[in-house]
Amino acid sequence: MTRPFLSIRNIEKTYGRVVAVQDVSLDIAQGEFVTFLGPSGSGKSTTLYAIAGFLQPTRGDVLLGGKSLLSVPSNKRNIGMVFQRYTLFPHLSVADNVAFPLRVRRQPKAEIDAKVAAMLKLVRLETMADRMPAQMSGGQQQRVALARALAYDPPILLMDEPLSALDKKLREEIQIEIKRIHNETGVTILYVTHDQEEALRLSDRIALFNAGRIEQLGTGHDLYEKPASRFVAGFIGNSNFLHGKLSRSDRSITLPDGTAIQGVALDKVGPGQGDVSIMIRPDHFRLHNGEAAPRLVGTVTDTTYLGEYTQLTVLTAWGGALSVRLPPDDRASPVEKGQSIALTCAPLDVRAF
Amino acid sequence: MLLDFNRLGGLRVALSAIAFLVGAFLLLPIVVIVLLSFGSSRYLQFPPPAWTLRWYEELFDNPDWLASFATSFEIAVVVAVAATLLGLMASFGLARGRFPGKEALRALFLTPMVMPVVVLAVALYAFFLRLQLNGTFVGFVIAHTIIALPFAIISISNALEGFDKSIEDAAVLCGASPLEAKLRVTLPAIRSGLFGAAIFSFLASWDEVVVAIFMASPDLQTLPVRIFSTLQQDLSPVIAAVSSILVALTVLLMAVAAIFRRGKPA
Ligand SMILES: Nc1ncnc2c1ncn2[C@@H]1O[C@H](COP(=O)(O)OP(=O)(O)O)[C@@H](O)[C@H]1O
Ligand SMILES: [Mg+2]
Repeated sequence: MTRPFLSIRNIEKTYGRVVAVQDVSLDIAQGEFVTFLGPSGSGKSTTLYAIAGFLQPTRGDVLLGGKSLLSVPSNKRNIGMVFQRYTLFPHLSVADNVAFPLRVRRQPKAEIDAKVAAMLKLVRLETMADRMPAQMSGGQQQRVALARALAYDPPILLMDEPLSALDKKLREEIQIEIKRIHNETGVTILYVTHDQEEALRLSDRIALFNAGRIEQLGTGHDLYEKPASRFVAGFIGNSNFLHGKLSRSDRSITLPDGTAIQGVALDKVGPGQGDVSIMIRPDHFRLHNGEAAPRLVGTVTDTTYLGEYTQLTVLTAWGGALSVRLPPDDRASPVEKGQSIALTCAPLDVRAF
Repeated sequence: MLLDFNRLGGLRVALSAIAFLVGAFLLLPIVVIVLLSFGSSRYLQFPPPAWTLRWYEELFDNPDWLASFATSFEIAVVVAVAATLLGLMASFGLARGRFPGKEALRALFLTPMVMPVVVLAVALYAFFLRLQLNGTFVGFVIAHTIIALPFAIISISNALEGFDKSIEDAAVLCGASPLEAKLRVTLPAIRSGLFGAAIFSFLASWDEVVVAIFMASPDLQTLPVRIFSTLQQDLSPVIAAVSSILVALTVLLMAVAAIFRRGKPA
């Protein structure tokens, strides 16, 4: 990564005995799109608000271009933000909303008019300049809010779950718009969401939050393929979690029915041996072809044909249910309910925690 | 709904009749007063034998009545401004502040509305005696502002609590100082609450009589006080004319308040 543009250093925020955020550190490059993903209450907004200046962190620092932001009041930080709730000024028209930050900065009228027109074009709302916020849909209001937040060319744009109040179809439409605007303007974006699909679709990198900490920071691919913890594995994508016994001597993990898996990456397991939790993605299973190891046998209790793949529920010998997704080439002979089935998977796709 | 009006059968007639009677009971005295003010009988004979504007002419020719009008109006305007400003500051504290005893403070601010007015009047009278404020414009304004403040606080707090603080935060991040954000965004957004506060504060002072009787001096009498003292001497139709004007102004202001309420964005 190049020289960090925005640097979040060991941020901590406590409310009395409640720890909202602890020891969050993150370097962001100019022009990057970074998403804070995580369950509700995990500290995403708190971190964002510390950057915006709405709250003072208990500890830590936020640096922009090498200078600390903490002593700069919110209105002087020159940061753009789109909020979860609709925050257009209700008494001002769309054009006046977008012009507001420029009027506050006492820019000349001609410049303001030109910028407002350009911003409304950017969010494709040129024809709605004279509308009042109350006359617009939620999606349109958030696009105006985006135009307003970008009107003063902020170095960073913060977005706190801006689409969470919209329905799925509209959300996807605006995600594409946001992606396009990011490409066109090159603004650095910090985006908050609890929707993993949204995070995967938009971000260069994702910081996965849990209980006030960053559990893992990386690309969507990193988080999906190389989850750093059981929490990450469970949060991103679908996973099967199985109990196994680790034997250090031959680096193998034995499942409750005696199936042994050799060659599993053990970097996330502690130094001891014995009980471990292992994770296998539903789409990492294949039908067993005769010689590959491991070989896991079970009974199909449910099948759902979904076009791109077939979703199976497989009951293992020890009574656990596995979620399995078989790709088209693996279902030449249709799998029937009640049938016995042998599955395999690549040991490198199995993660132990 | 459990009690659907359309399904009440015979009760419907009874209910409608009761509603009509209550409405009539409330409105009839006002209607009679207004009619009497245009009636020709000096002894307030009803129904009036003939119609005249004589009492209104008499009223507008009398400098004492005009002075009282002016006094009432000036006091009410100053009270409306003072109560709205104080109410605005108190409401910010109550709606946004986080401090122990906030609910107790809210209750305290609202006590003038529930406390017997005469108790307040006696207390203020005794207190103002020491400050030599009885019979002064300032004394009137302070006393009426205390009475009007609960109405202002209720109206503004409601508006402020319905206003999302994030909108003000957005204005600050756009570059407005916290004060500028309040002046340019928050206040315009809660303007219906501010107008409501001003109108109800004005009315609270405009038709207040109990405290005013204690505060008044021979040279400084509000309209309700002069009506009261005039009534004690004789029952002139001029009083009906004054009352009618009081009612007209009140109705007008209530209508304005209602229009603002309806125009308020959801
Ligand atoms: N003003 C506050 N007082 C007390 N606790 C708070 C306050 N603000 C946030 N918290 C707590 O901090 C934690 C993180 O909150 P937040 O950053 O809003 O989570 P997220 O945005 O990830 O949903 C939550 O457990 C929340 O209850
Ligand atoms: Mg949040």
